[in-house]
Amino acid sequence: MANSSMSSWRWFHQLGSPKWFYQKSAKWLPWLWAITTMLLAFGLYYSLYASPVDYQQGNSVRIMYIHVPAAALSMVGYLSMAVCAVIGLVWKMKMSFMAMRAIAPIGALFTLITLFTGSLWGLPTWGTWWEWDARMTSELVLLFLYLGFIALHSSFSDRNKADRSAAILAIVGAINVPIIYGSVKWWNTLHQAYSVTKKGAIAPEMQTPLFIMIGAFYLLFAIMVIVRLRLEIINREAKSKWLQAEITL
Amino acid sequence: MSSKQSEPSSYSSSCLEVKGLTISRNEQVLLENIDLSFTSGSITHLFGENGAGKTSLMRALAGLLNHDSGQICWRGFKTSHPEANFSQDLLFLAHNLAMKSELTIAENLQFYTDLRGKSVSRSEIQTVASELRIESLLERHFAELSAGQQHKVSLSRLVLESAKLWVLDEPFVNLDARTRDWLSDKMMNFAKKGGVVIFTSHQAIDGLKIHQKVSLTHKDRNEQSEAAA
Amino acid sequence: MFITLLKRELMLARRNWVAVLIPLFFFIMVVSLFPFAVSPEAEFLRQIAPGVIWVSALLATLLSLDFFYRGDYQDGSLEQLLIMSSPTQVALSKVVAHWLVTGLPLVLVSPLLAGLMHLNYSPDGILLERGHTPIMMFSLLLGTPSLCLLGAIGMSLSLGASRNGMLVAVMILPLYVPILIFGSAVITASLGNSGYNAQLAILAAILLFALTLTPFAIGRALKVAVS
Repeated sequence: MANSSMSSWRWFHQLGSPKWFYQKSAKWLPWLWAITTMLLAFGLYYSLYASPVDYQQGNSVRIMYIHVPAAALSMVGYLSMAVCAVIGLVWKMKMSFMAMRAIAPIGALFTLITLFTGSLWGLPTWGTWWEWDARMTSELVLLFLYLGFIALHSSFSDRNKADRSAAILAIVGAINVPIIYGSVKWWNTLHQAYSVTKKGAIAPEMQTPLFIMIGAFYLLFAIMVIVRLRLEIINREAKSKWLQAEITL
Repeated sequence: MSSKQSEPSSYSSSCLEVKGLTISRNEQVLLENIDLSFTSGSITHLFGENGAGKTSLMRALAGLLNHDSGQICWRGFKTSHPEANFSQDLLFLAHNLAMKSELTIAENLQFYTDLRGKSVSRSEIQTVASELRIESLLERHFAELSAGQQHKVSLSRLVLESAKLWVLDEPFVNLDARTRDWLSDKMMNFAKKGGVVIFTSHQAIDGLKIHQKVSLTHKDRNEQSEAAA
Repeated sequence: MFITLLKRELMLARRNWVAVLIPLFFFIMVVSLFPFAVSPEAEFLRQIAPGVIWVSALLATLLSLDFFYRGDYQDGSLEQLLIMSSPTQVALSKVVAHWLVTGLPLVLVSPLLAGLMHLNYSPDGILLERGHTPIMMFSLLLGTPSLCLLGAIGMSLSLGASRNGMLVAVMILPLYVPILIFGSAVITASLGNSGYNAQLAILAAILLFALTLTPFAIGRALKVAVS
């Protein structure tokens, strides 16, 4: 009994070994960069040049090709932080906490991009760069959640405590995200002063570039997380022999 | 890394076992792969220089500090296991005295015995207080006492609460000779009745019969354990 | 054991009754600032009353958290409580005491604020027979426990941190958004003579949800704080 739990522990330990990840990710990164650059270049060309102009929104519809993927990643980012938090707390996996910490600022950045492109789109469409629209308001609250997480994590001198505290906050936040989204949506329908909601189904010639861009953003997000995670490993494992050997090589 | 006991080690009903305990802080290993066992009726003196991890070890034993690997068992069960009844058996006295300054001495002591579900009569509290010469202070607020008197209040918990394991961080520090003797006496009595005592101290305590000495050394992480005569 | 813990919290609050009254003063003062800042006109105050009362109640709850957690953390009592009883029970006893000592008094003084904000006049300035005060109190009664529960998570998480105070607010205010929305919506709906049962039901649902889940999170956070 004790023995079998020991061996499953070890399996997790290997999966979450900083050394293993550091060495493997060095091999993944060039490939990831190549695919992402190609996808991003193709997606940008397709969406900014080769796709049709919206008959109502004109060229400002093209902001959507950045806005929608960024919005998707902003939420996926928070969710993956919470998943890392659960894994870290339950299986005491250090790598998981490191990944959680690596994701936070990147998720916040994507949320910021979402808000920025949203207001850029809002300026010609609504006539104002900020409208208390349900989606935008939810993104704003999501940004606050990210900032709260980052603020908490950076307030501890003991890293172990910082990881575990921030993990609890990430889980609580993730459970709250749908509740916040639901209530903001309800609140928004109550005060419907201005609302330009998305119309009907999206045209297929717009759908393809959007999917390409979403794919490219996922990869970009992954690359940024991996790079930050590698920095986090260097930071935390600075005293370990394998890392010293790795860096002096 | 073995620990020997001067008394025959029968796997008795109240026994604390530490196996392969590793504790680290900020990726730095404080204690590595420690095996210790504390038998019923034994008094263990933990010593070592500052920063050797004595307090960390005690806090890990008390279940406050997370350990990276290893096990701590009480009566054959992990200490977190409900069957071990560890929270009721353990009495941990730390540097912080954990007394509320806005409550009286009697109220502070009463709360801790209530929390153990043990009813303690007023006269029991008075007896301990008079042994420690603080009986006239029972109705005073904790904040009004001198540091030495406050320490005595904290020590009286040892007698009032029926714990089976005492984990005491520097209990002898700043005590007058009389109280030091009182404490050694209580410790030996407690051990005689089958209790387990683990304490840290920088100096040797005259008149206290110690069954096991554990030395923790800084950095090179070799803990030695020797049987006392 | 829970009763012992709760009795202790209440006894400590009684000994520090001034510290416990401060959030109440704060609540009244913040609300009475708005006429100065905007306008003392009855119609205007009535319109902003739901939001003002709810935001003030929310801030008062947040600022009063410290008393119930910080002291025990600093003098080592929290360690002893967590060793001798379960973290969830410690968490619940603190939240219940916090609500009884600050949340409930907030509900009880709120009629005074309803008066200050002219909540009980009809738009043409006639005193209503049955004002909006009871429904406002009911919304606060359902909402403040949730505020205490969620706030306790932030407070416990910030205990071991080097900066606090503001940190708790930054972590917890986003989580308060749903409670704020539905809490003030109840009063607004009542003012507009429309139905408010759905909003009350949602407030109750949030409370039940928070009550079942947050004690574990708080307990866990307290354990981390003492480690």
